[in-house]
Amino acid sequence: MTEPTESTNKVAPRKDSTSIVKKTLAKRYAAEKRFRFYGAAAIAMSLAFLVLLLGSILVKGLPAFVETHMLIDVTLDSKTLGVEEGATQQQLKAANYHSLIKKSMRGMFPEVKKRKAKKELYKLVSTSAEYKVRDQLMANPSQLGETISVWVLADDELSSFYKTGALADRSKLTHTRLSEQQIAWASTLEEQGKLRKKFNTTFFKNGDSREPEQAGIRAALMGSILTLLITFLLSFPIAVATAIYLEEFAPQNRWTDLIEVNINNLAAVPSIVFGLLGLAVFINFFELPRSAPVVGGIVLSLMTLPTIIIASRAALKAVPPSIREAGRGLGASQLQVVTHHVLPLAMPGILTGTIIGLAQALGETAPLLMIGMVAFIVDIPTSVTDAATVLPVQVFLWADSPERAFLEKTSAAILVLLVFLIVMNAAAVFLRKHFERRW
Amino acid sequence: MDKLHLDQHISQQFNHELEDIRNRVLAMGGLVEQQVDQGLTALLESDGELGQQVATADFEVNAMEVEIDEECIQILARRQPAASDLRLIVTVIKVITDLERIGDEAEKMGRFAVDLAEANAATSYRKELRRLGDLVKSMLRDALDAFARLDVDAAIKTAARDEDINAEYQTLQRLLATHLMEDPRQVSQLLKITWCARALERIGDHSVNICEYVVYLVKGRDIRHINFDQVQSEFLSKPT
Amino acid sequence: MNTKSNTSAASDAFDNLKETVGVVTVDDPKMSARNVDVFYGEKQAIYDVSLDIANNEVIAMIGPSGCGKSTFLRCLNRMNDSIPTCRVTGEMSLDGEDLYGAGLDPVLLRARVGMVFQKPNPFAKSIYDNVAYGPRIHGLASNRAELDDIVISSLQKAGLHEEVQDRLDAPGTSLSGGQQQRLCIARTIAVSPEVILMDEPCSALDPIATARIEELIDELRENYAIAIVTHSMQQAARVSQRTAYFHLGKLVEVGSTNNIFTNPRHELTENYITGRFG
Repeated sequence: MTEPTESTNKVAPRKDSTSIVKKTLAKRYAAEKRFRFYGAAAIAMSLAFLVLLLGSILVKGLPAFVETHMLIDVTLDSKTLGVEEGATQQQLKAANYHSLIKKSMRGMFPEVKKRKAKKELYKLVSTSAEYKVRDQLMANPSQLGETISVWVLADDELSSFYKTGALADRSKLTHTRLSEQQIAWASTLEEQGKLRKKFNTTFFKNGDSREPEQAGIRAALMGSILTLLITFLLSFPIAVATAIYLEEFAPQNRWTDLIEVNINNLAAVPSIVFGLLGLAVFINFFELPRSAPVVGGIVLSLMTLPTIIIASRAALKAVPPSIREAGRGLGASQLQVVTHHVLPLAMPGILTGTIIGLAQALGETAPLLMIGMVAFIVDIPTSVTDAATVLPVQVFLWADSPERAFLEKTSAAILVLLVFLIVMNAAAVFLRKHFERRW
Repeated sequence: MDKLHLDQHISQQFNHELEDIRNRVLAMGGLVEQQVDQGLTALLESDGELGQQVATADFEVNAMEVEIDEECIQILARRQPAASDLRLIVTVIKVITDLERIGDEAEKMGRFAVDLAEANAATSYRKELRRLGDLVKSMLRDALDAFARLDVDAAIKTAARDEDINAEYQTLQRLLATHLMEDPRQVSQLLKITWCARALERIGDHSVNICEYVVYLVKGRDIRHINFDQVQSEFLSKPT
Repeated sequence: MNTKSNTSAASDAFDNLKETVGVVTVDDPKMSARNVDVFYGEKQAIYDVSLDIANNEVIAMIGPSGCGKSTFLRCLNRMNDSIPTCRVTGEMSLDGEDLYGAGLDPVLLRARVGMVFQKPNPFAKSIYDNVAYGPRIHGLASNRAELDDIVISSLQKAGLHEEVQDRLDAPGTSLSGGQQQRLCIARTIAVSPEVILMDEPCSALDPIATARIEELIDELRENYAIAIVTHSMQQAARVSQRTAYFHLGKLVEVGSTNNIFTNPRHELTENYITGRFG
């Protein structure tokens, strides 16, 4: 072969390019190093804030998972109770346990005589002690007249004081509303082994209460679960169907453009607006029950829909068009192509979007305030039409309460909320793993 | 070679290769032409030295054929030419084969010229041989011209002149045959002259082949072994 | 160099192109297109193309990028339907039935005219399910045994059975590129189409895998009408019996592959296959 003769447009490397490039190298690497450092610093900072946040919540919230019990001897004397031997359950229920507890408290500290001191003494025990004794007696009516020992809840002030360990070491005490006299009684009880700490089952069993030691998270947790269930059941199918229609079936015209713009805008609407809408439409117009998870679920669905739709559309778009062509090329109808090939491949992305939407809904307070889910709920809701509240609203309510013990409850409720979130995410990760396939 | 646009490939390298091959073929044609010319001269002028020179120079022709062949194979393997490029390469391969054969015929004439010069015998048919030789030389030159200019008209017209050469050759053969019968003592010399005439006639045939390849190269039709009138009516451009 | 005059000469040749050089029709065509124009919105992609596709023959469509060859191929089984702005005018028929008329449903059409794509695109399913998918949705097999038969014979026809018979449950995507493409061909055959359209089936494959696919195409020719779009002229020369050259949406020349590659009649075809400025 011959070499090409004189060529007019010769392509040849510059002779000095190596030295020129070398000069710029150090600068370029330095820039890269700096950028890496910024990135690492940003991550470290956010991690530090996260640890700080979680740490403070944990430190504040963990004591709430412990409750203080007090052992009292109660003489179930029928005169104080105001019932006769062989009374019916109804009569037993209506009996005067209040005086009974007072009497037994007096019995433990017979030296207390003054009216004011007596009152302080009574305050050491939780009002729930009456119900505890009542339940015990109603279970065993034959015990009437006997003296029994019962572990009952201590009052929240005593409990807070006792849990810090301040009884043994007063220096640990930061702030208490207990009087010196009350602290002395507590010491006596402690010496007699009549005080003990226990895992707080009450917190997970009860609904809200005015008395911090009796207040529990259960009603709010159930409310959140029911509300989210409604949200998921409504928003997931509607959003996925919408995304599929818009992405795979809808003609590209001015109407679909308009819809798309509106969906994107909807995602940016402040959530309180959805609450107003829920109040006006679902409660006032359709007359659905106030404070019910069903209304909360519907309102949160409206809020979650755009998020899931946008994420689902992105997931559907990410499915390679070659898969659709393959299906169509074999004679699959459009719906078959979507359900057999596109949807399974888009499912992980759709699930991610759904979880993001639901997590947002889980943390939402404002729209629920508008539809009355801010109510004080003692009873555990069992159906979607029962009055209920949700975890973030509960946090809000407790954070607003003056009692000191509610402070730890607030943090504990936040912890429960976080655990709920983690469980939900774990479920999503599991589902995604299940659906995820290589292509 | 404007008709084939050989210089308009996207690949410059390919342009150069084709240009180079074409130049080499033309150079080989020139060399072969010179060989024929000198062989004939040696024969007509009983120049034994020139004859020897022609006979020994044939290796140059052979070497050129091998080189061009090699280059064509490289192009076939590396460029996978199609259409006109493919036809050009195939034509070149065939043309150089014919040129090499023409070179062989010239070599033959040169060797006979040496023999005849020693015997001092060729003088008797000089006139006839010159006439045949001139016809053949001009036909070879025109054939190579037609190839160089890709001129189909010229190629067809040149090929047609083979008839004249054949006629001239027949005449010379008859003369030689008569002479042979009359004077059998000169059989060796006469046979050599016959071989020379035969060589010239063969050169004419090879020139016809070259003309036919030119038509194939330009028109993409193989006109070998088909009726000549048909070829003329089909490919000869009509006077406008 | 004289490129400018040549370019303008070529564009003159294109502007003056009134009709396709060569014979576009065949005796007893399987599919035929007459005066087909295709538009994407305002832009016309194909101008007045007429071409027949014959049984037991491979027709190659070649041409520079954007010449409309793929568009034309995709019109043959209405794959362009999914592009809302795409509009096809003129006549296209399969066995004399109008493709774009009311009589022939696109889903049915695609069952009869199969397609193999540029990039191997197996479904995210097992090898078995990939092949069985078409017969399943069309209800071609009445029981599992019949389906097994279809799958195995399709894999055999595609020359893939021996390589995968031990791992029919493995995902289709676990195969090599060439095997994936043969799987796609098996998947297409499984629906028993009459025509197979191939859109640059070997552009993502290495030469060995390409040679296997080409060998397979030649074997398939016995039973199917095949139209193949390719960027490789050597491939077109190797596998096809007829070749059609497209240029800027027009069908410039159709002819036997033998003629097109030794002696094309149109200047544009010549320029394209010899790699000249066009």
